[in-house]
Amino acid sequence: MNTADDDNNHSLRYAEYVLGVLDADTRAAVAHEIETTSEAATAVALWQRRLIPLSDSIAPVTPAPYVWARIQHALQLATPARTPVPARRGLWNNLPLWHWLGLGASAVAVALLVTVMLPRMRPQPAPAGGLDYMAATIQQDNGVTGWTATMDLHHARMVVVPATPQALAQGRAPELWLIPAGQKPISVGMIARDKPTTIALDPAMLARLGPTAALAVSVEPIGGSPTGQPTGPVIAKGAIGAAPDASSHATKVALISHAQAGHRLV
Amino acid sequence: MSVTSPAEREELNRLLIETGRSDQKAFAELYRRTSSKLFGVCLRMLRDRGEAEEVLQETYTTVWRRAGSFDAAKASAITWLVTLSRNKAIDRLRQHREELLDDPERMHETVDEQPTPAADAESSQEYRRLEQCMQELEPQQRSSVREAFFTGATYNELATRSKVPLGTMKSWIRRSLMQLRTCLDQ
Repeated sequence: MNTADDDNNHSLRYAEYVLGVLDADTRAAVAHEIETTSEAATAVALWQRRLIPLSDSIAPVTPAPYVWARIQHALQLATPARTPVPARRGLWNNLPLWHWLGLGASAVAVALLVTVMLPRMRPQPAPAGGLDYMAATIQQDNGVTGWTATMDLHHARMVVVPATPQALAQGRAPELWLIPAGQKPISVGMIARDKPTTIALDPAMLARLGPTAALAVSVEPIGGSPTGQPTGPVIAKGAIGAAPDASSHATKVALISHAQAGHRLV
Repeated sequence: MSVTSPAEREELNRLLIETGRSDQKAFAELYRRTSSKLFGVCLRMLRDRGEAEEVLQETYTTVWRRAGSFDAAKASAITWLVTLSRNKAIDRLRQHREELLDDPERMHETVDEQPTPAADAESSQEYRRLEQCMQELEPQQRSSVREAFFTGATYNELATRSKVPLGTMKSWIRRSLMQLRTCLDQ
């Protein structure tokens, strides 16, 4: 029997679909209707216009820049040098963060870093939330900070600053590796043992800089590992952890622990 | 980010149409202007940053591929985008439904009855009108509609959370939807 109530409930299915209360099967059935009949599509569009404004009350949250990098990578889009999200100022001058990274005691390193970075920074007003920078303290076996790596996700680059100049055997140089969770190390590049190195990050690399990746340094021949994988001893390696919120910015820091240092990466 | 002014809406419509013509610059600008709104929507529904990031990525890859089918006469760009992200988030929730039902934290989540960073002078006319109509609903029914919209829960889940029979929840929501339609279409 087709009562007025049934009719009403049937037309309300489109409203229920937009509200989001239908189970998976019913949802799929309505989605199919929308694709195939213009009445359903029109009814759903009307309900969207009525109900979607509720989302105006949800506070916006800026996504981490690597999400955009992943989208570009997934779609194979040509990539401009930087992500379209406005850059945020402040982190490079964020002393609590540097202190936490282990550079606080090394005024020379901070001064060096600020000198290196400042001329390139163009401070802009920033939206709230989001992840613009990642950083890693790369420690040696003895717990002394060897390098600090800071990744500027907007400008797609990483700056690696030595805190303690490394003594390496003749003909050897440090190579930096990115290790996505559960994957093989990817070479980021050779880094200097006694001065800052700036490395441009391509979109594929940027897309892998999530909070589950780690950084490590191994000792390789001057030109880099001949195999594409680490061949020498690993000086430091570690997993990513959340940084103390040194300012109002949400900052994630990769903490390179020395627990596994000295092991081979592969 | 405010996407509520008519001029801003027009601009987003234009950017989405340009995106439909494979204009990468327009797509980047569209992302810049809308991603934090959509990410807020995803995060609110999924309650997990990693999942919300994945859904946001899926949303924008779909935007790039399907922007050509956007019709500004039928919906504004921002409605089209929010709908797309909500649908992806709801699909994700349905996939994980079993796990979520097992998670007591999620079961007893409540939604703030307080709306609104937007309920001020900046909020859109559509939003203010909808809020007025929402205020005419019975409090319990209003809160069920909100919870449904913001969490993407099914009738079953809503009934369990509110500890009422499924039939009661269905009639609450349906009555609310009819009431909203009448109020909004006046």
